[in-house]
Amino acid sequence: MFKNEEMEINLGPQHPSTHGVLRVKLRLDGETVVKCTPIIGYLHRGVEKICENKTFFQGQVWTDRMDYVAAISNNLGWAEGVEKLFGIEVPRRARYIRTMLTEMNRLASHLLWLATHALDIGAMTVFLYTFREREYLLDLFEAFCGARLTTTAFRIGGLREDLPPGFIKQAQAFQGIFLDCLEEYETLLSENRIWKKRTVGVAKISAEDCIALGVTGPVLRAAGVPYDIRKAFPSAAYAEMDFEIPTRPEADTYARYLVRLAEMRQSHRIIQQCIDGLPEGPVMAKIPKILKSEVNEVYHSIEAPKGELGYYFVGEKGGTTPYRMHVRAPSFVNMQALSKMVEGRLLADVIAAIGTLDVVLGEIDR
Amino acid sequence: MPTMTLTQTLVMGLIQIVAVLVLIFVMVPLLTFAERKVIGYVQVRLGATRTAGGHRGLTGALNRGMWAMGKVPVLSILRGLPVFIADILKLILKEDIIPEKADRAVFTLAPILSVMAAFGVFSAIAFYPGVLFTFPAGFPVVGGLPFMGFISDVNVSLLYIIGLASVGVYGIVLGAWASNSKYPLLGGLRSAAQIVSYEVPLTLSLLVPVVLSGSLNFREMSLRLATGEGMSWLATFPLMAGFLIYTTCGFAETNRTPFDLPEAENELVAGFHTEYSGMKFGFFYLAEYTNMIVVSTFASGFFLGGYHFLPFGLQRFIPATVPFFGQPSLIFFFGKVFFILFTYLWVRATLPRYRYDQLMDVGWKYLIPLTLVNLFVAALIRFAY
Amino acid sequence: MRLLKTLIPSDIAAGLALTGKYFGKVFLSANRKKVRAHLKHFTQEYPEIPVRLAPRFRGRLTLLKDEQGEIKCVCCLACEKICPTEVITIEKGKKEGRKMPFPVRYDFEMERCIFCEFCVESCGFDSIILNHQFELATYNREDFSLGMEGDGQNMFVPSPVGKYSVAED
Repeated sequence: MFKNEEMEINLGPQHPSTHGVLRVKLRLDGETVVKCTPIIGYLHRGVEKICENKTFFQGQVWTDRMDYVAAISNNLGWAEGVEKLFGIEVPRRARYIRTMLTEMNRLASHLLWLATHALDIGAMTVFLYTFREREYLLDLFEAFCGARLTTTAFRIGGLREDLPPGFIKQAQAFQGIFLDCLEEYETLLSENRIWKKRTVGVAKISAEDCIALGVTGPVLRAAGVPYDIRKAFPSAAYAEMDFEIPTRPEADTYARYLVRLAEMRQSHRIIQQCIDGLPEGPVMAKIPKILKSEVNEVYHSIEAPKGELGYYFVGEKGGTTPYRMHVRAPSFVNMQALSKMVEGRLLADVIAAIGTLDVVLGEIDR
Repeated sequence: MPTMTLTQTLVMGLIQIVAVLVLIFVMVPLLTFAERKVIGYVQVRLGATRTAGGHRGLTGALNRGMWAMGKVPVLSILRGLPVFIADILKLILKEDIIPEKADRAVFTLAPILSVMAAFGVFSAIAFYPGVLFTFPAGFPVVGGLPFMGFISDVNVSLLYIIGLASVGVYGIVLGAWASNSKYPLLGGLRSAAQIVSYEVPLTLSLLVPVVLSGSLNFREMSLRLATGEGMSWLATFPLMAGFLIYTTCGFAETNRTPFDLPEAENELVAGFHTEYSGMKFGFFYLAEYTNMIVVSTFASGFFLGGYHFLPFGLQRFIPATVPFFGQPSLIFFFGKVFFILFTYLWVRATLPRYRYDQLMDVGWKYLIPLTLVNLFVAALIRFAY
Repeated sequence: MRLLKTLIPSDIAAGLALTGKYFGKVFLSANRKKVRAHLKHFTQEYPEIPVRLAPRFRGRLTLLKDEQGEIKCVCCLACEKICPTEVITIEKGKKEGRKMPFPVRYDFEMERCIFCEFCVESCGFDSIILNHQFELATYNREDFSLGMEGDGQNMFVPSPVGKYSVAED
């Protein structure tokens, strides 16, 4: 009469908390996850192939649409990758502005992460509080480049235009309120017993596993490895900035939460330094009207909010388009850790694990 | 009180039942409206504003004028209030889908069971300890008879209420099972385990007022607990602790955040009612909100002093000669009910959700020992006094 | 000590206090103050309170005319070439009394446009801009195909005021 059966259940692709169109095939024993298989590809648009048919100048608009919550980081990776391919030197002011905007974008991305992660675990109010602050940032992006999400913020060789009038004042206003707002989120979550129960010790993954799987970003740093590309291979103006790499040894969801909050504080610091030390000068280097590449290949990576975002370009003789373009998308690589994190744990932990990995499906599927 | 004939008793009962039903059917939609508004305000939003707040229709002319003057339209808190009518209309008019593989009979029975269990409880709840008003002498059939603040004055009403309330879980479990779908099944299992475990501390925490007041009758208990009649002043403390425990268990019993696992939308999409639509879903919805009202009336009646002004048996410090505050009143009772309902929404907006196993931990490892200790303290006080 | 910490839910009380504070704040101010007062920190009631857009906002593509009412575009096809999604089609032509080429057709397929402003950037004659219109939804697919002709929307409307919004230029 009683038999023990495992149940297979599809979490997604239409599901409120898989952050898009992720499909996770779960084999459940009761509520315990026996096997977890993420299935991706529902948002595949072939960005890499499209970029091979577009010029270096045009290609940037497609990067906006990969990690759409951190479009400026993607733009930075693209622009710097192409500049590396052609050996273009970017003016100092442009590099400062790029750094500032990228850090603002990191804040926006982390705020969105906090919002959705908290919502997944059930704290619905944090969602709207973080979106309130994100609104300031999106307004700043809109003031700078005219769009809020699909920014296309940078140009190869620098920036299209200098900062608009009033931008610094607006940014200072945001800087003034942001730390208080962070404290509000912490009041709601950090010490909350339910939040702690849901996150402490959940979805653990050791530093060895992280490195073996290629996991980067806050997930790796929460496992105690202080690897941050902003320090390891500084680009833009990061070499001139003074900031720390927050790490935690626990490697669980709560540690990742703390690491990301600490990162937000560091980003706040970097933005402040950029505002204070913003140099004068041009924002655009002299570049030829049409970029023609040589036989050459370049890998350039930056620290995106989700981890190491790498662009790989292969040029051909006289080509105006990349011969081959590949993106090392942090979400895609980090996603591999999901099975390792949740197998043997409960269904509710899968949701927490997806949230803590901070995946964006546009970037996974590209 | 004049003795009533059988007809008069029946008609009177009918009138009272209809009155209570109307109360429920008004309060539940208002509660959904309040939920939108309260959670909206907590989240720095405005909540529902569009119904009767838009540009078109009867209200549109007024609204347009107000906006043109640079002002938010008048009665602006109530903009969006008609949304509850829209809610009801939508639920009634929506197509009622029964999945092909579902067990049709049980699938239909489940929401009815839920809603009946929730409504049945009201027959033993006393909204007011005495006569609300007397029908005028010329009134057909029931002329000259008093209209009481309760449907029936059962002596063991608490037993009846607890017994009936625990039937509600069958609605959820049967509905989940009959849907023949995976997400509802998980939701139903969670719900069964949750309600069974939380029934224990809930009932145990209700024993504290029983022990202290020495009665099982809702009306008497409420009156005695409020005035502290025949109780030591020490009784306030177990009542306070009991109130906290009771509300916690009540949150779990009604499947509300932070214990809303059966319908944890971020894990199980919609939990046990994933496959339900139309008015069948509406019944589950109605049952859930009615249960919230029931839990609030209990907390109000037993712990917060019911019809009297001060909670936890502190009413003894206000002599009965004081006008208004010294007298029992319907306003106090419903004020407390609304406060607890507000707390429901407030907590929902603030707290994250427990995980299934942690929920069991909280129930068995913390709440049950706590209630037992509390009960022991209450019994000691009762014994010593 | 730990037991006491578990029994007294101070953490939950702190959270409730914060949300309660916001509830009170919004409850007291949301509907009573004047419209402008709850900008920024509250949800704006969008159609009634117009959205304020940044001057650089990238809206719909618009063809400009000079003071004589002549189309500024000289058909250099730079915008057509640079467009990443190939939404612009220009047909070169001649017009009497004008030295420069004149666009006989300037078609813009808005449904594919991604509003990146590359076309405006590439234009050496300042003859196109992206205006501030963002309420671009229509009921017919044909309405997304804009050209130099057309009754409702066409490429010349410099900054059409949308159904609700008020652009600031």
